[in-house]
Amino acid sequence: MELPININAAQVTTAYGHRAVPKLNEELQSEDLQTRQKALMALCGLMHDPEYIYKAMNIGCMENLKALLKDRNSLVRIKTTEVLYITASHSVGRFAFLEHNIVLALSFLLNDPSPVCRRNLYKAYMQLVQVPRGAEEIISKGLISPLVWKLQGEVEEEFQELILDTLVLCLREDATEALNSNVVPILKQKLISTDENIRSKAARALLNVSISHVGKKQVCQFDVIPILVHLLKDPVEHVRCNAAGALMFAMVITEGKYAALEAEAISPLLELLHSPMSVARLYATKALTMLAEAPEGRKVLQAHVPTFRAMEVEPHEKPHMSEALQRAARIAVSVIEFKP
Amino acid sequence: MASALTDNTSRAPTTYTYTSRPRALPCQRRRYRYSLTQPDEEPMHYGNIMYDRRVIRGNTYALQTGPLLFDFDLEVTPVLEVLVGKTIEQSLLEVMEEEELANLQASQREHEELRNSERAEVQRLEEQERRHREEKERRKKQQWEIVHKHSETSQKIAAQAFAQRYLADLLPSVFGSLRDSGYFYDPIERDIEIGFLPWLMNEVEKTMEYSVVGRTVLDMLIREVVEKRLCMYEHQRDSHPSPEPKDEPGGPKTMRESLGTSEFLEQSMSQTQRLLLDRDDLQRTTYDESLSQERKLMDESELLGQDEETARRESLGKEELS
Repeated sequence: MELPININAAQVTTAYGHRAVPKLNEELQSEDLQTRQKALMALCGLMHDPEYIYKAMNIGCMENLKALLKDRNSLVRIKTTEVLYITASHSVGRFAFLEHNIVLALSFLLNDPSPVCRRNLYKAYMQLVQVPRGAEEIISKGLISPLVWKLQGEVEEEFQELILDTLVLCLREDATEALNSNVVPILKQKLISTDENIRSKAARALLNVSISHVGKKQVCQFDVIPILVHLLKDPVEHVRCNAAGALMFAMVITEGKYAALEAEAISPLLELLHSPMSVARLYATKALTMLAEAPEGRKVLQAHVPTFRAMEVEPHEKPHMSEALQRAARIAVSVIEFKP
Repeated sequence: MASALTDNTSRAPTTYTYTSRPRALPCQRRRYRYSLTQPDEEPMHYGNIMYDRRVIRGNTYALQTGPLLFDFDLEVTPVLEVLVGKTIEQSLLEVMEEEELANLQASQREHEELRNSERAEVQRLEEQERRHREEKERRKKQQWEIVHKHSETSQKIAAQAFAQRYLADLLPSVFGSLRDSGYFYDPIERDIEIGFLPWLMNEVEKTMEYSVVGRTVLDMLIREVVEKRLCMYEHQRDSHPSPEPKDEPGGPKTMRESLGTSEFLEQSMSQTQRLLLDRDDLQRTTYDESLSQERKLMDESELLGQDEETARRESLGKEELS
């Protein structure tokens, strides 16, 4: 009797239950290329379950995967990065990343010729930085400058989005290294990109950059504020929202305030107050509060105090958000009506 | 017919045979229903084997296979279940992962947005505080500078006034002290003081010295004369007393000529005293007269001295002779 034909040649028979991962682990170390590839593919399927990830960590599968990253065969690398990406989407997996120093090993593949491999790599990083600890790790390994460099270099928009996602979350943690590697001009270029996602994410990245004082100074220095004001009139909602957020932070310092006033930011921000997205309203309120501290801004905004008063009593389904909105509106009113 | 029926239904191990007498087909349809409860489907007493339900379709050898191997429907269920189940489980896991991720991201974003707005508020307040503080510092500094300048100016004024007052005294006192130390002098007066007066004093001193010296010499002369006269007197008394009156007012001439007795001695002594007195008188009268007189006296005393020496030599000679 013959066995039925093997439809999926790349499929390896995974052992049952808790023997699955160890067996795959052994196969990963085999000399035969095919075996390795098949083992990797099976591992991809398994890694969606956090239990298996935990198991894999325990038996030291991560070390093997790390070694496989340097494999010459591109499929092996692609699959390895995919496995790592899936691992990183679970917190156990992220923990594994940190313990086994996989970030550094992955960073060698930033210049990999195969684009699929790179995509998985970016995805893995993106998943990693969802937690602050992961972002810290990436920063401490000094990967921000290469990532910024890649942001400029990559042509694919998808890749740019992924890198931007990673950068956004890293910048939230610590912006100094990024600022040193000239991230602001690059983000400025991305702000005028054609893809709306890229614009939105670049604006978000600038938001995170301008949280720190140095970032604010650089944002003013590189004349990003006029572009952000221009983005306030963008057709896409979340782009406007993020632009308002970036402006909000940049306008804390006096330079920012006057740059925004020169670029006539008040009217777009006032329009944003009626936006459907509550976050946009919040950011716009705060931004207008900043502007109201300058005497010129105060003069203009005194006419719009009723709008803010209306916002004070506005309800919202989420209690946090509505409370925040009301508070912001109250503060805005108090700042506008401040007499020295 | 029953036998035909039984023939149909019997599963003979031998080959299947079916025989039936030809019969006329009855009208299949019933004209009347006998009863409603009667089922419509009645087992055909005879009919085509193709439509006979009792015949098992399939392999001609099917009847020979024996007891049932398995019921496909029953057996396939668990297999299918496992297959489908696993697939669905896997896909569910993946979908859940993505959903979880999306949910996580959404909540994170919301939290982050709230946090961002709060942070912006904090930064704004910080900035405000910093500006206020800077402004205060600047104002304070300005004020301090003003006060400082004030105090400095007042100090300068006070110092100036004091210095003026101090220095006002200085000039006269300087001049006074200079004048006192003799830095301003009348040149003629100075000249007189420096040149003339010392010379005058010198001369006066000299003159006085002359007179003193003269007097001393005179005293010495008188003393010697007196002693010689005494000696002579004693000598004459010893040899023979012969008083020789010597009564010449020119005192020194008498002495020059003879060696008198004690009387003459006395006389001469009184005369010399008188002379001295006279000389004193003379000295008292005029300066120049005394000067010239003293000069004369000095000359005379010198002559006297010479003559005395000669007289002495003579006497000595006389004594030696005698």
